[in-house]
Amino acid sequence: MAKQILSFTVNDEPVDVLVQPYVTLLDALREDLELTGPKEGCGTGDCGACTVHLDGKPVASCLMLAMQARGHAVRTIEGLGAIGALHPLQDAFVRLGVPQCGFCIPGVLMAAAAVLAETKHPTEEDIRYGIAGNLCRCTGYTKMIAAISEAAAAR
Amino acid sequence: MSSVMKTTRDVRGIGLSIPRPDGPEKVTGRVQYVADIKPKGLLHAKLLRSPHAHARIVSIDASKARALPGVRAVLTAADIPELKRKAPTRAHAVLAIDRAVFAGQPVAAVAADEPSIAEEALDLIEVQYEVLKAAVDPLESMKPGAPPVADTGTEADTSEALAHSAVAMAKSDDNPAKAVNVSQTAHVKRGDVAKGFAESDVVIENTYRVPMVHQGYLEPHAVLAEWDSTGQLTLWASTQGSFNTRSEVADVLGIEENRIKVIPVECGGGFGGKIRALCEPITALLARATGRPVRYVMTRREELEAGMPAPQVIIRLKTGVKRDGTLMALEAETVLETGAFSGTVLAVAAVFLGSLYRWPAFDIKGSEVLTHKPSVAAYRAPVAPQTIFAIDSQMEQLARKLGVDSAEFRARHLSHPGEPMVNNQPWASMGAPEVLQKAAEHPIWKARAEWKASGGNGHGLRGTGLSLGGWLGGLQPTGATVRLNPDGTLAVLTGQVDIAGTNIALAQIAATAYGVDIEKVKITTGDTDVAPVTGLSAGSKTIYTVGVAVMQAAQDARKQTLEIAAGELEAAVQDLEIVDGRVVVRGVPDRGVTLASIGKKGNLYMSKIPPVLGSAHPAFTQQAPAFAAQIARIEVDPDTGEVKLHDFVTVQDVGKAINPLAVEGQMQGGAVQSLGMAMTEALTYDDRGRLTNPSLLDYRKLTAADLPNLETIIVEVPSPAGPFGARGVGEPPIIPAPAAIANAIHDATGCRLTELPLTPERIALALLAH
Amino acid sequence: MRRFDLATPHNVDDCLKLLAERGTETKLVAGGTDLLPQMKNGLIHPARVIDLSGVPEVHVLAADDGRGVRVGAAVTARQLERDTRIQSAYPSLAESGALVGSIQVRNLATVGGNICNAAPSADMAPPLVALDAEAVIAGPSGRRRVPMAAFFTGVRRTVLAPDELLLEFSIPAPGPHSGGCYLRHTPRRELDIAVVGVASQLTLANGVCAKVRICLAAVATTPVRATAAERALEGQRPTPELIEQAATLAIEAAKPISDQRGSVEFRRHLVRVLTRRTLTTALARASA
Repeated sequence: MAKQILSFTVNDEPVDVLVQPYVTLLDALREDLELTGPKEGCGTGDCGACTVHLDGKPVASCLMLAMQARGHAVRTIEGLGAIGALHPLQDAFVRLGVPQCGFCIPGVLMAAAAVLAETKHPTEEDIRYGIAGNLCRCTGYTKMIAAISEAAAAR
Repeated sequence: MSSVMKTTRDVRGIGLSIPRPDGPEKVTGRVQYVADIKPKGLLHAKLLRSPHAHARIVSIDASKARALPGVRAVLTAADIPELKRKAPTRAHAVLAIDRAVFAGQPVAAVAADEPSIAEEALDLIEVQYEVLKAAVDPLESMKPGAPPVADTGTEADTSEALAHSAVAMAKSDDNPAKAVNVSQTAHVKRGDVAKGFAESDVVIENTYRVPMVHQGYLEPHAVLAEWDSTGQLTLWASTQGSFNTRSEVADVLGIEENRIKVIPVECGGGFGGKIRALCEPITALLARATGRPVRYVMTRREELEAGMPAPQVIIRLKTGVKRDGTLMALEAETVLETGAFSGTVLAVAAVFLGSLYRWPAFDIKGSEVLTHKPSVAAYRAPVAPQTIFAIDSQMEQLARKLGVDSAEFRARHLSHPGEPMVNNQPWASMGAPEVLQKAAEHPIWKARAEWKASGGNGHGLRGTGLSLGGWLGGLQPTGATVRLNPDGTLAVLTGQVDIAGTNIALAQIAATAYGVDIEKVKITTGDTDVAPVTGLSAGSKTIYTVGVAVMQAAQDARKQTLEIAAGELEAAVQDLEIVDGRVVVRGVPDRGVTLASIGKKGNLYMSKIPPVLGSAHPAFTQQAPAFAAQIARIEVDPDTGEVKLHDFVTVQDVGKAINPLAVEGQMQGGAVQSLGMAMTEALTYDDRGRLTNPSLLDYRKLTAADLPNLETIIVEVPSPAGPFGARGVGEPPIIPAPAAIANAIHDATGCRLTELPLTPERIALALLAH
Repeated sequence: MRRFDLATPHNVDDCLKLLAERGTETKLVAGGTDLLPQMKNGLIHPARVIDLSGVPEVHVLAADDGRGVRVGAAVTARQLERDTRIQSAYPSLAESGALVGSIQVRNLATVGGNICNAAPSADMAPPLVALDAEAVIAGPSGRRRVPMAAFFTGVRRTVLAPDELLLEFSIPAPGPHSGGCYLRHTPRRELDIAVVGVASQLTLANGVCAKVRICLAAVATTPVRATAAERALEGQRPTPELIEQAATLAIEAAKPISDQRGSVEFRRHLVRVLTRRTLTTALARASA
């Protein structure tokens, strides 16, 4: 099985990378592009740790073949904000003490960013449903909701 | 740019809600977990696992797998002479030798260039099994004649119980015709229960059942192993205890601990499931066989099928009281299903059943039972949620039968510090009465009659439930050092894996004990080569033990600093204080020296001033029990049995909240694990011992859409020995929810459910039968 | 996953040629939300996978010349959830799409994948059956249309031949005074799978039910119409008492098994509850 060229945009940069046809988008991002922010928590779309944006929409990257991203724009947590220039969501998460073990956080932030992009004034229910696809075992979600609400209101 | 809270002049850090310093790395995806580390030449490991719960391994032919291009090593037990024939613990059972004792047990291991190639190699390994009868149900497995699980001579493994919470419990003297799969027994009694029941006016008996559950950490087990040319093994591990991992791996592989370095990588959740070694030995063996770094990451399916879950617990509980509410007698039989290897904390169940309330007569028997299932490990307050589910449900029912307020009933009979536990040791200082009182004062509890009355009429059935539980608290010796840097900042070194955000609290403790602002303190978690010996990040004991070590080391460093300054300033140590980075004579602010100058002098060529290096290495004897109460306000759809959780409150005694922000996070996280155990989670097995729900679709953890905001109320009843009075925080919040939810369902529907999880099906069918 | 070749056709004809070559060792992938988990679990190991993401014909979502709507096989659950035309005219389909998995899954999961995977619990099947939709299938000898009620032949089995490609669903406009609803029971609010699902669709004429369709999920080897319940309502005024009768009759169509997701007893009970609730909502929508 020969590798194929995957041409797409990642975090606003055009990328051409050789990938095996049988790897997932998550694996290609992590292993071939060294973007290890998105995580594998289950591999079957049941936990949200692998959430990235595909053309602005949150998707489970463990369920996509890498080649299915050809011609599309992907954004990972690395493309949301950086230390020293945090996205308001990231900043709110830090200040409100949201991350504990941190494993779910990249996925949650990408899901939350999609909620904010879609809804100007999200209610608590909007936010809870917006991150309902992201399992967290450490935090109980309450501080996440508060941080996302705060970031939404601050816009 | 994030803003970190500044400390005040008076209080350096204790009691301040300071966000974790690694927050920015975590929110930008820059923190590295084991699966993110990719050294040159990395190989990927996969394990072939037995599909049968109990089988003899007749033959293994790995030749086709070895021949697959890209495969670098295939190991079976025949290739590993170190494997002990009788594996004393699960970690020693690296690969099955001639028998598989649970479905999912590793039988062969592959290292290959790509994970896909490794998977294909597994397909090519031909194993002949002779399927044997399996012991699957613990109550059946206890009976004589059940298929035996353990190799004869395997001792019941009590190391887990001791590590996790130091409970002294007499071994059972009874030795009935010992059923072959009963690996531990315990028996405590006091008084005459038969007489007690005879004199009771109300006797309630129920059997409570809690299935095996998985700790549910988001990051699966992961380890990276590499040997260097001198025979030194380095393990990058997702672990709750790097020193424990080192010891276990050394024992399994039969090599000296000095030959192993364990680097604790950021751990994506453990909750007790990552205390014991699991994948490290086989990964190390693959690395040795290939001469290359090998990384093994469990899939979620493997975690659910072959992790180390919490045991199934079955408790038959009989309690008798007089009409006036006097407690008369308690009788209990507890069965803890431990899977294929012994390792439950059997004694803890007895302690909480019989010691939380004052029973004049009790008779409590416990059995640990082996079955052909994956063996268990700890899960955040092991066995306490299941035990409190039983005793608290029972107390609630007794109160209702007597027609009295159930919170008052609990308060009336609650044990107090100094009173004897079932093992005759006195209860240490604990805040259970204060926690219960605070919960009973909560508006949601006080309004429960109105809430119930508002049910129906377009709403579901409404109810409120309360429960109280606690944890004794673990103990383990530990060490820490505190150095003064040449610029006046402090470097603190521990070996403590920072899972719960304890590092920031340790920094607050060090800053306060030494006398500097918290920005001047750096906490380093060292690997096993450089750090002082450190215990597990478990047992709610990190702040309680490591906090003390850090405090004492900081105090030691402060003492050394003041002594040096006293020499410089020609003053008495007791007249000196540390203010704003300087040591000054009290009341004479221009007579002082900077901390930086002291730090520099200790590092100068030809200097006579020693470097300031504070250290402490305490051991502990005094536990600090910590209690939590939870209140649930629910609404039940009478047709589907679905429960909507409107409000959920956790009240918890933390002794002293070093960092309230972190404490709240622990309370909320523990609450959701508790609610999951109460409402949705169970590992379910078929009658051949195979897991029927090996995915997160059917092993249901609660999502943000299933939950309300979780209210937290911190109570502070200082512990005598904890740093600044602190108690362990991590475990109590996982304990009360199952009983609170069961009590709420009873309030709403009149149905008393005694088997977890309290699913819509169980509730709906109970209502239909009501 | 084990290794495989990947083909990325640009149109339906290329796709059919690829299917004709190695039909049974080949799997089609669109959203991948059922296929990839099955491959990762080792349940299937195709030698080749054909990616539909570059085939425009299966992504259509458009009005069908005023006679209804065409929903391409690769239209996602999220699209169905959010499309205003689907929400207003075919609410049961929008509701079923909204319930699949989570947002991250719905942005990938396709209606065609849900239908072709043909799990008894497939959420989008009952609405399509209740709406009298037809599947439009392309094969070596041309196109054919199959009513959704006849599409499923067993657990994970459909009328599709290995060399055929499901193109789209053709859903007729329900007509005035119509309403539909899909509900399912799950233990969690999201990320879950139906224990029982029910779609009800009805059209009123002068206050009586001119047409009734009730389709059940997860209570038989395939989605199944509750025909006895339908007959009880057809031509009648749908009073609450009659709806309750119909809900009880719906149980007759169910042949559920007991598995870890639900027992026979609970599933039968839920059929009645969800049939009652979906009929009530469908009626309210039809009367609005």
